[in-house]
Amino acid sequence: MITQASRRPLASWKAVLRRTRQQRQPLLLRSMATETTPTTPTPGAAMPIPPRKKPTFHTIKSNLPHKPIRTAFAVYPRPPSSRSTTPSPLISYHAQQIRRLDRTGARTALFSKSNPDAAKAGDVLQVTTNRGEPFAGVCLSIRRAGVDTAILLRNHLTKVGVEMWYKIYSPNVLGIEIIWRRPKRARRARLTYMRKPSHDMGNVDHLVEAWRRTRNVFSSKGKGAASNAGRAGKHAKKGRR
Amino acid sequence: MLNCIDNSGAAIVECALVVGQKRHATIGDRIVAIVQKQRGASDAGMGVASAANKVKRGDIRHAIVVRTRKQVQRPDGSVVKFDDNACVLINKAGDPIGTRVNGVVGAELRRRKWSKILSMAPTHA
Repeated sequence: MITQASRRPLASWKAVLRRTRQQRQPLLLRSMATETTPTTPTPGAAMPIPPRKKPTFHTIKSNLPHKPIRTAFAVYPRPPSSRSTTPSPLISYHAQQIRRLDRTGARTALFSKSNPDAAKAGDVLQVTTNRGEPFAGVCLSIRRAGVDTAILLRNHLTKVGVEMWYKIYSPNVLGIEIIWRRPKRARRARLTYMRKPSHDMGNVDHLVEAWRRTRNVFSSKGKGAASNAGRAGKHAKKGRR
Repeated sequence: MLNCIDNSGAAIVECALVVGQKRHATIGDRIVAIVQKQRGASDAGMGVASAANKVKRGDIRHAIVVRTRKQVQRPDGSVVKFDDNACVLINKAGDPIGTRVNGVVGAELRRRKWSKILSMAPTHA
């Protein structure tokens, strides 16, 4: 994709902008050395309970203004809502677990909706796990569920369709890479129609091979792909210990 | 009806029974299978089976399920799902009848102690 953009620089503004963004990124990272340390305080710290206000007694309007009728019913002011002071336990738990499993925030950024460079449904992704060969396939859907966020990849192995769900924050997943971007945005969130023979992409090995060749151009020893694949995972491992 | 993906000679088999349990079979389960279609000759008549075919139509053999359309959950949270149901024929002792497996098989076979089939397969997912 990068080579295409350089050959026809005005052909795809999107690709050009993406390339400039990616070139800008390393400079930022280098200048901010302490970015990886999480600075946000842990939620859940108990807020001090405000002192209880004294009740007032309910009064009834009487005809004589200087002699109000006082009742014995105490009226307590409404206590302040705890919703604003105490964060929702489930949301904060998910956030805490994501911070623990994804120290650098790379995975969150790779699948965040606000990131223009994020992986979308229809892209071809490669997941490297800590056992076996990496699995590449077209991303059919992204199931966003906090720390349980998962992606569904589909590929053809020996002419048989294989689909795999992977949890993106799993410690077993060492790296997720974007092999190929869909030229046009998919107009569905879940591309289940790609299981039909008429829409099936088939085997994506040729895309993986092309991607590996472009990676080898930039690295001197021709192992750039392998070292980049493990980078995110290494950070995660460091964080756990 | 399952595909048979080894070179024993069977192409399509029918599951008659799941051995040892009353639930549906999943990857790594042993089933009793009836050979419904033979590979190769493709003659509808029950005529001459080619010499390589170790099983004939109507044979009742044991088999191991190696791929399922139903998704199988792994202990690490990942899920695998294939586009077809497939099996590999074995004999009563548990050794494969064929000598090679053509096609991807599920990695659950390792956990279920069928590593002999796993080593014959070209890839596993």
